[in-house]
Amino acid sequence: MIVIEARPRSTAEDHLRAVVSHDADGAIIVDHSGAVRFLNSAAERLLNRHGAELHGQIFGFPLVVGERAEVEVLRPDGEFAVAEMRVLSIVWEGQDALLITLRDVTFERQAEAALREAEAFSIAILNSLTSEIVVLDKQGKIVAVNEAWIQFGRENGITDLASISVGADYFAACAAAGPGTGGPEALQGLKAVLSGELAEFTYEYPCPGPQGMRWFALRAVPLRGSRQGLVVAHNDITDQRRAAQIAAEAEMLREQVRQMERELVSVEAISRPDEMVRSLTAPLRQRAPELFSQGLERYGALLEEALYSRVHRTPAPSRALRELGEWFGSIWAAPRDLIEVHLQAMRDRSQHNTPKKLQAYFEEGRLLLLELMGHLASYYRSMAAGELSFRDSE
Amino acid sequence: MSKIVLHLYIAGQTPRAERAISTLRRMIEQELAGHECELTIIDVLADPQQAENQKILATPTLIKSSPPPYRRVIGDLSSVTDLLNVLNLPPQS
Repeated sequence: MIVIEARPRSTAEDHLRAVVSHDADGAIIVDHSGAVRFLNSAAERLLNRHGAELHGQIFGFPLVVGERAEVEVLRPDGEFAVAEMRVLSIVWEGQDALLITLRDVTFERQAEAALREAEAFSIAILNSLTSEIVVLDKQGKIVAVNEAWIQFGRENGITDLASISVGADYFAACAAAGPGTGGPEALQGLKAVLSGELAEFTYEYPCPGPQGMRWFALRAVPLRGSRQGLVVAHNDITDQRRAAQIAAEAEMLREQVRQMERELVSVEAISRPDEMVRSLTAPLRQRAPELFSQGLERYGALLEEALYSRVHRTPAPSRALRELGEWFGSIWAAPRDLIEVHLQAMRDRSQHNTPKKLQAYFEEGRLLLLELMGHLASYYRSMAAGELSFRDSE
Repeated sequence: MSKIVLHLYIAGQTPRAERAISTLRRMIEQELAGHECELTIIDVLADPQQAENQKILATPTLIKSSPPPYRRVIGDLSSVTDLLNVLNLPPQS
């Protein structure tokens, strides 16, 4: 309690009255029943009421836990201000009293609320994005993440979500990832963007997951605004990668087939009469759909068998494959027909299998097809040799 | 034993108001468990006339109208101990 009684009472009270009267903060003096004994002009403005109107009225006993409390000050028009309330025990007109000071903090609270709203809006935008987003400060510490990023962590079995959330050290995690993981390369790129050496940095990296290997593209750009930092987005590009890989494999296959076809065409041309070559130029699927289906079925069975052999490490179906090659030769199948059969078998399996199993089909199918081509070539070669020796004997 | 009648005036669902409500509920359930209590919460934004009738100048304000003595408290209503002390509760039988 502050007792201002060192001087004669009237002088001390006059002094106190002068101080509170000119205080820029609202000052209300209440007795122990909570009734108003005095209020300054700042308080009148804050409450938007006349002092005379409030004199003797019960304001209330002020309760403050710690140094201050916040209250809403109500005005007659229904509006209100937010005020920080402090309380001091004093002696007023010879009686114990309480000096309540009210500092108008409405503007500060509105600014804080606007800031919170803006932050919530930014987070809502981040959460609306499907890419996994991490925002870093200039030291590489995480300052914001979106829900997609946290969800990604959960799906990958990270139980300690704090290690990938706000406050975690992203740079340290990259450095700790070690060589071969892409971590050090990513760290170097991120630092280059941070220093302004690069305008942006993109990096593709593999990431093992529950459904097999996945690929991600990391893209880092500088954080725009007054704060220095980085916005790092991760996108799952496994599908694009797989498509590109399949396209590259297909191109490689086509090139091998083209080479084999060139060889076969000459062998094939001399292995059968000219009129037969002309009649059999149409693709197998068109000229003999039933034979095509039959070939597809036999090829599919061998593909399943090859996959089984791969998993259970049993011998591959080589004899059956040679027989199938000879069978295709016997019906005058061309290399393109074998490709058609192979692609149809892959398409049939692409709908209901996991990416991992599809990859296995693709790898086994490619080997199977090449071997089948070899058998077909051998068949035509031996045919050609027979035909040549026949012609020679003539 | 007379009923304890409390009126709490708040200005919208602010964290301050929620803290005050939770303290009062805790106080009633634990410290005043053996007493008949009635707590009414008035949102001055929804019912400004009632605030004006009661000459409420700030929120949160808690009024104890029964049993006597009448008490009106303003400010940080988060301490059960302080509230019991200021409100003269529980009533001495």
